[in-house]
Amino acid sequence: MRRAILLTVTAMLLGGVAGAQEAAAPSTEAPAVDPAAGLAAWQDVYAVFSHPRCANCHVEDDHPRWSGAHYGETRIHAFNVMRGADGSGFGNPGLRCTTCHFDSNSNVLHGPPGAPGWHLAPVEMVWFGKSSPEICAQIKDPGRNGGRTISEVAEHVRDDALVGWGWAPGPGREPAPRSAEETFAALERWNAAGAPCPAE
Amino acid sequence: MRLTVDGKQIEIDADPDMPLLWALRDLAGILGPKFGCGIAACGACTVLIDGSPVRSCVLPIGGVEGEIVTIEGLARDGTLSVVQQAWLDEQVAQCGYCQAGQIMSATALLDEIENPTDEDIDNAMSGNLCRCGTYPRIRAAIKRAAATKLARA
Repeated sequence: MRRAILLTVTAMLLGGVAGAQEAAAPSTEAPAVDPAAGLAAWQDVYAVFSHPRCANCHVEDDHPRWSGAHYGETRIHAFNVMRGADGSGFGNPGLRCTTCHFDSNSNVLHGPPGAPGWHLAPVEMVWFGKSSPEICAQIKDPGRNGGRTISEVAEHVRDDALVGWGWAPGPGREPAPRSAEETFAALERWNAAGAPCPAE
Repeated sequence: MRLTVDGKQIEIDADPDMPLLWALRDLAGILGPKFGCGIAACGACTVLIDGSPVRSCVLPIGGVEGEIVTIEGLARDGTLSVVQQAWLDEQVAQCGYCQAGQIMSATALLDEIENPTDEDIDNAMSGNLCRCGTYPRIRAAIKRAAATKLARA
């Protein structure tokens, strides 16, 4: 349904632009959207979403991941930490995410990172191990993005405290690329360019 | 700042960044919660805040809201809690260093799941390490405590 609306809006925009150009300069036509610019903007977004600080908690199974210089290869979070039998993403009775992860990063090296509401992303929002086209399709699908428009996704990325942790992950952890504000802007550019996804 | 610990109000004069465990042990003299790793990786320091287990070695006291219960606050009028009694009955402890944290996590588990399966127990207790390897006895004690609670219900 949304795709149909987008196509309709795009057709209207293209029609309007074409109509204006016919009056002013009928020999040239400029597209209303620039897929190349859109794909470039998506690449900026994908660099963030696929980064371990973000993808390690957007997993398909029940286990968050650890990765970083002192972990070697990416590994499953220790202590049998899991999504939670209720599917909430907040862990299991007796061992919640918030047993160790509080509102801010531990200032002790190797201490637990923290941000408000620490939990795994819903299982349908899987990024870990997924390709750029797969993540792109997920972000555009309201059934798999929390029922958000792309603008709402962008605002969520800019404003949510737990998302923001990815750029301030505490001592010893590489932050996600750029910043929340720059990723918001990249999502807006991508959206304005028709939110194109790369080919498989 | 004022903390509620084991049913008592205590005043703590310390930097808000001080870990709760430091405040409990060094300032309030509550020595039941133990220092193990200092990075929330062993569970020896576990206490409950409003019934939820937290690793007190990494929780800044400035962020504490709610009622803290330590291993020293589980007994009522000289009677051990069901979980503490089960720990004794099953002779869980070997060196005993981890058991304060183990008992707090087990208490939190049984508050949410009255008759936990082996999987429930593993899911709840895997963040509490026991270097003596008393895990089979820990599991037995939790099942004993669950049975006792159910029999009393």
